[in-house]
Amino acid sequence: MAATETFYDVIRRQGVTRRSFVKFCSLTAASMGLGATGAVDMAQALETNERVPVIWMHGLECTCCSESFIRSAHPLVKDVVLSMISLDYDDTLMAAAGHQAEAILEETKAKYKGKYILAVEGNPPLNEGGMFCIDGGKPFVEKLKWMAEDAMAIIAWGACASWGCVQAAKPNPTQATPIDKVITNKPIIKVPGCPPIAEVMTGVVTFITTFGRLPELDRQGRPKMFYSQRIHDKCYRRPHFDAGQFVEEWDDEGARKGYCLYKMGCKGPTTYNACSTVRWNNGVSFPIQSGHGCIGCSEDGFWDKGPFYERLSNIHPFGVEANADKIGFAVAGTVGVAVAAHAGITAVKRITTKGSGSTDGGPPA
Amino acid sequence: MSRIIVGPFNRVEGDLELTLDIADGRVEAARVTTPLYRGFEQILAGRPAADALVVAPRICGICSLSQSIAAASALRALEGLVPAPNGELATNIAHAAENIADHLTHFYLFFMPDFARREYADAPWFAAVEPRFKAVSGAAASAVLPARTRLLHIMGLIAGKWPHSLAIQPGGVTRTLDLGEKMRLIAIIAEFRSFIETTLFAAPLEAVTSIESIAALDDFVEGAGAGGDFATFMRLARALKLDELGRGSNPLMSFGAYASQAGALFSAGVYTPRTGENTSLALGLIEEDVACAYMRDSSPDPALAQTIPDADREGAYSWAKAPRLDKSPAEVGALARQAVDGNKLARALLAQKGASSVMSRVVARMIEIARLTQAAGDWARALRLQDPFCVAAAKFVEGQSAGMIEAARGSLGHWVTVKNDVIERYQIIAPTTWNFSPRDGQGVPGPLEQALVGVETGDLGARAPAIQHVVRSFDPCMVCTAH
Repeated sequence: MAATETFYDVIRRQGVTRRSFVKFCSLTAASMGLGATGAVDMAQALETNERVPVIWMHGLECTCCSESFIRSAHPLVKDVVLSMISLDYDDTLMAAAGHQAEAILEETKAKYKGKYILAVEGNPPLNEGGMFCIDGGKPFVEKLKWMAEDAMAIIAWGACASWGCVQAAKPNPTQATPIDKVITNKPIIKVPGCPPIAEVMTGVVTFITTFGRLPELDRQGRPKMFYSQRIHDKCYRRPHFDAGQFVEEWDDEGARKGYCLYKMGCKGPTTYNACSTVRWNNGVSFPIQSGHGCIGCSEDGFWDKGPFYERLSNIHPFGVEANADKIGFAVAGTVGVAVAAHAGITAVKRITTKGSGSTDGGPPA
Repeated sequence: MSRIIVGPFNRVEGDLELTLDIADGRVEAARVTTPLYRGFEQILAGRPAADALVVAPRICGICSLSQSIAAASALRALEGLVPAPNGELATNIAHAAENIADHLTHFYLFFMPDFARREYADAPWFAAVEPRFKAVSGAAASAVLPARTRLLHIMGLIAGKWPHSLAIQPGGVTRTLDLGEKMRLIAIIAEFRSFIETTLFAAPLEAVTSIESIAALDDFVEGAGAGGDFATFMRLARALKLDELGRGSNPLMSFGAYASQAGALFSAGVYTPRTGENTSLALGLIEEDVACAYMRDSSPDPALAQTIPDADREGAYSWAKAPRLDKSPAEVGALARQAVDGNKLARALLAQKGASSVMSRVVARMIEIARLTQAAGDWARALRLQDPFCVAAAKFVEGQSAGMIEAARGSLGHWVTVKNDVIERYQIIAPTTWNFSPRDGQGVPGPLEQALVGVETGDLGARAPAIQHVVRSFDPCMVCTAH
C-alpha cells in the first residue's frame, strides 16, 4: 500500500538529516512564537501530514517579493522551504518551461483539489479586459481565478496582492486590483510590505504548510504574529522621539547621533510591520537604521497618503498612541473591506477548526 | 513555414512571450512581446519631485537600487548638486553588490540550468553538468544562494533594506557609516571574493581580470581556472558553438557607471562591433518609436514624450516602446559596458566574429563580477568616515534633466521635467527596453529579434534549448522593460 507522502519523506529523500530537520523545527517554532511545545508539534505535523503543495504565481508585479524570499535567513530555507516544501510551480525559479510548466498547474489542480496553497505575488489589472498583464496568452486574472477555484487558501504576498501597491497608486492606469477583490470565496492571508520581510514570508508559508491552516489573522487579514505592532513601538530611535530630538536634514548632527526621523517624513508611528524587530537582510538593518524614515509600505494605500518627505501631520508627539489606533480603524473602515473581511474570517474559521492532524485518509490517486 | 508562440518563460524576471516564424527548422523571423504594463510614468506625474526617489525604484525588485540611483541622479542634475564623496563611494559599493548579485543569479539560477535540460541528456558532458546546475535542485545553487545573501548584507549596512532601498539621495546617502561598519563592509567583500575565487573562477581575481586575448582565455580555462564553474561554461560554449549563436551586430552602448572623484570606473560611449570603433555618446540621438507598441503617438524625444497606452493600436504587439540610438537599435549590458570601457578580452571576442554572441555576453558578466569585486573593496577602504555622507538637497526644484546610469542589464535613463517642485513629466528607458525592443516604424527589429533569426530549432520547435540560450544571454528583466 502506498503511504501518504509527507514533508518529512520529501526532506529525507533530498538528503536532509534528521538532526537538521529537528533544528529546522525548533528554530522555526521559536521564530513564530509557538511556545515550548511548538517544535514538537511542528515535527509531528511534518512527519505525519500529507505534504501541502504550494503554487506561486506572478501577476502585475516587480518580483521584489521573490527576491526578498530567496534571501531569507530562515534556517535551512534554501533546502527545506524553497525546494522541498514543494514550491511546485514558480515562474521565476522553476526548471520546467512553457507548456510543460502549465501542465504542472493542471496536474496540481486535479491531484490536490482543495489541498494546495496558492501564493500570489502581484495583482491582476482589470482595465482593457485584463490585457495589461497577459500570462500564457490569457489575462492573468483568468489564470488566477482558475487556480484559486481548487486552492485550500491563498497567500497574498506583498503590498501588490494585499492592497494594490504602486501600480494601483493614483491614477491606477491599469486598474490594478488586490486579490481579495477578485477572489471572494477563499480564505486569504495578506502579507503586506514592499516587499515583505523574508523571515515573515518563510514563517507564514511554513506555518500554513506545516499545520494545514492559516495562522491567526487581524481584522485586515494579516497574520497577528508579525503585524500587531507599529514600527514606532519597537523602534530603537524611540527614546529620541520621546525626548523631542529630531533629525532636521540628512547627515546633520542629529542624524549622526541617531535622532528620530519623524520630521524627515517617517511613517513609523502609523505603520504595522515587524521591521524594527525582525529587521532586513538577515537582521542586519532596516530603513530607519539606514537613516531614512519609514514610508509605511505595509499599509493600505500608502502611496497616496501625501508626500513621503513631509512629516505626518495627523499625529502630535504626545498623542501618538490614541491617534495611530484611530488611523488603524479609519483605514479598515474606509477601504470597504469590512464585509469582505468578515467573509474571509468565517472561511478561515472553517479551515482552522478542521484541525491540523487530518490527513484525509489515503494518498491522492 | 510555421508560426509558434514560446512562453510563458520561466527563469526570467517577469513575463515574456516570443512569436517565431520557423521554416526548415530555422527561425526566420521573431517578434518579442512584453506582456506586462503598469503605468509608472502616469503614476509619477503630479507627485512631489522628491517622491520619485520612492516611487521609481518600485519599477523593479531586482535592480531597484539602480532605479534609485537613476532617479537620484536626475534630481541631482536638476539641483546642480555635487554629492558628498563618501555618498558616492557608499552608493558605488551598494550598486556593485546589486550588479554582482544580478550577474551571479543570472549565471547560476537562470542561464546554466538550461544545460541540464532533458534535450541534452545524450551529450557527453551532461552527466557532470546536470547535478551541478539543474534548476532548483542543482548543487551549485545551494552554495551560491547563501553566498549571494551574505554579499547582500552590504545592502543592509548601506541601504537599510533591499529590494526597494531608500538611502540613496541626490546629495549622497542617508546612512552614515562608522568604523565597525566600514570593517564589516571590507570583510563581506573579502569573504565574497574568496567564494568566487574558489567556486566560480577557481583562481585569483587578478588571473581573471588580466586575461586580454582569446588565447589567454583558453589557457585559463584549461589551466589555472579549469576547476571553476566559469571554465565549465566555456567548455560548454565551445562544444555547442555558443560564440556563433545569438549574434548581434548593432552598436553597443553604455552610459558609463560608478562615478567618483577618481572618475567613472566604466566609461560612457558607443562601440561598433563590426569596425571596432569606439565613439562618444550623444544623448540627443536617443529616441523612442511606438509603431509596434500599444502606445499613443508622442514626441520621440524621451525628455518630451508622454506614455499613454492604446490597447487597440493597429500593428502593435508589445507594451515596450522601441528605443533607438541615431535611428538604430542598440545592444546594452555587461558586454557593451566592457567593450566601451576598452576591456581587451571583451573587444577581442567581439572582433573575432564582428558581432556579439551568447558566449561573449556571458563572458563579459564574468569579467565584470571580477572587476567589480576588486573595485568594491577599494571603495570601501577609501571611505573617510569623519567626512559628510550627504549634502543638503535643494528645498525647491524646477527644470528638466536626465539621470543616465548603468544597471546590471545595461543603460538606464530617467528623464524628468519638474515644475514648481512637482513632477510634470517622467520618462524611463530601461536596459531590456533596448535589448527586447519591438520593431520600429521602419520595420527594423530589436536586438533580440535580430539575434533569434537563423537559430536552428530542428524538430524541437519551441523546446529547442538554443532559443532559451539566446533569450537568456541578454538576462532580460521584463518588469523593467515596459514598466
